[in-house]
Parts: sequence; structure tokens; C-alpha cells
Amino acid sequence: MDAKAMIDSLSSQFPGVIYDAQVESDIRILAKVKPESVKDICQYLKEKLSFGHLCCEFGVDYPERNEIEVIYVIGSYEHPVLLTLKAILSRDDPKIGSVVPVYWNANWYERETYELFGVKYLDHPDLRPLVLPQEMLGEWPLRKDYKGFPNKTAKNLV
Amino acid sequence: MAEVEPVPTNNEDDMQEEIPGVMTTSISAISDFLKKTKAQDIINWGRKNSLWFTVNAMGCCGVELLSTGMAHYDTDRFGIIPRNSPRHADVLIISGYVTKKYFPALKRVWDQMPSPKWVIAFGDCAISGGPFYESYSTRQNIDEVFPVDIYVPGCPPRCEALIQAFYELQQKITAKKDKGTDY
Repeated sequence: MDAKAMIDSLSSQFPGVIYDAQVESDIRILAKVKPESVKDICQYLKEKLSFGHLCCEFGVDYPERNEIEVIYVIGSYEHPVLLTLKAILSRDDPKIGSVVPVYWNANWYERETYELFGVKYLDHPDLRPLVLPQEMLGEWPLRKDYKGFPNKTAKNLV
Repeated sequence: MAEVEPVPTNNEDDMQEEIPGVMTTSISAISDFLKKTKAQDIINWGRKNSLWFTVNAMGCCGVELLSTGMAHYDTDRFGIIPRNSPRHADVLIISGYVTKKYFPALKRVWDQMPSPKWVIAFGDCAISGGPFYESYSTRQNIDEVFPVDIYVPGCPPRCEALIQAFYELQQKITAKKDKGTDY
């Protein structure tokens, strides 16, 4: 099954949920997904299309469009195709379902995206800050309008 | 030593437990008195030759810190030994950037160390934050919190620079200019 057949299978299985699907090359496919059904799509990808490895999950902030994109990069051990899934959320109240029941390693990715962007993962097993201290929760430091950088307050600059 | 006898108990605060007819003193009163005598030179000679440091590798400078304590540089010849417990250690080496999450733990390590104790800021990150000085999670100006005696610039400094820092610290202790003891 090559990249074109995979994206066709995905689009025909989930019509209307997968949109803007494109084949970038023989090994890269790209699609946008409705946020509410991302878990079902990941289940289908893992069981039917042998996408068994969630390489990465992260967020991108777009203040002009008032959107936060949550991006899943999913690979496979059986074929060379890498799939990029994008879910577009509202910047005011970003909420998306967790994919931890499908890919267990999404646990820490989602905790980090939560603490840095404020994306709330519904029914995540343990949603608390991963690296940042508890008192920085709510500052969302990787959003573009974050103002908390300590500019020019260091004394002993070498 | 005949001059030891008139113990100056000028500060009434040290008299914690008032027992009628009994003159009490405290450990700090004795050590405060010793600081004025020649005995402090002997004490400082002992202290400077047993500068045990915490193995507190906080960043990439921590690798240099670890290898300084190993056999190749053999800091044991100066009495400088890595210790795994802060309860055993005399020198805290801040060897990397201090994040807001790590700062309470570092403060706790410092509080657990028994006096007398000294601080070495090792590397650019410990001095100013280094390349991370305006990060959202960097705790800046840690020399306002810890009484840093020696600054070692470099990114990272070599192991020889750390040995030099220990030597400078020994010189400061000999000259009674260190911040670890309040002379």
C-alpha cells in the first residue's frame, strides 16, 4: 500500500472528518482532521494501516488566525510513510480528546503541550505539568503573546 | 591558652536558658570568640584542606564537574573529594542554569549543608544565565540568593579551571576573605 492508497483509504473511511489531504511525496502524507474524532482516526490508523509509532505531538500557535494547531506525526514500522495530522482548535478555549488510549507515549507529549500552550486534553489519565513548576501553570509560555521573559534583568552578563 | 578565659558574653541573646547562678554559653559564642584569636588560622588551615563538594551536576558543566572528581585529575591530593550527600559537603558548585523548577531543590541542598560552607558559580550559566538568560524558566541573578565566593567563566570551563577555583577559594579562606564564615 503506497502513500496515495493510504490517504484514499483514510478519506473514504472518514468522509468529512479528514479534509485537505495531500500527498507530499512517496513517504510523506499530510491531512487535517476534525478535533473531536482524532482518537477514532488514530485507532483506525494503528489497527488497519499499521501506523504503530507516534513520533511526535506538539502545538503551534497562530495568533492572527486565533487558532492553535495540534500536530501529530505518526510513523510505522512496516512501511516508510510518515503521516502528519493537524487538528485546528480555537485559541480561546483549546480542547481536544486525548490519544493516550491508542498511543501510550502520547502521555508526556500531551502534558508538555498542555503546560506550554494550554491545550486541554479531555480524558487524559494524568494531566499535570511535566517540566514547568506548578506555579507557572496558566502562563502558557510558548504562546506568541507571552510577555513573561525576564529581559535585561540579569546583572552579570558575561 | 590563658587568653581564652575571659569569654566575652556581650550579647544577651545567646543566653537562651537562664539558670540562676550558672553561667551558660553557646556554641556560637565560643566560635565567635575563636574568630578573634590565632586559633582561627589553624581552623581555616583545616577547612581549606578538606573542601568536599556536592556532586550536583546541573547541566553540561556538570560533566566537567564529574570528571574533576575522578581519578584523572585526582583532586584528592588537595583534599577535594566529591560527596554524594549534601550533609557531608562543604562546597556547593552551581554547575549550570538554574530553572524555576530546580531552584527550590538547589536551595534545599544548600540548606542541608552544614556550616561552614561555600559556593562556586561554575560556568556562564551559573553566573548570568548564559545563553538561556532570557528564557521563561531561568532563575536569574542567583548570586543574590547564594553567597558566591568564586565565579568561573567559560562555556564550559575546563576541569583545570575548577581546580584553579578551588585553589582561589583556599587562598580566600586563608586570608579570611571568604563569605562562608562571618568574621
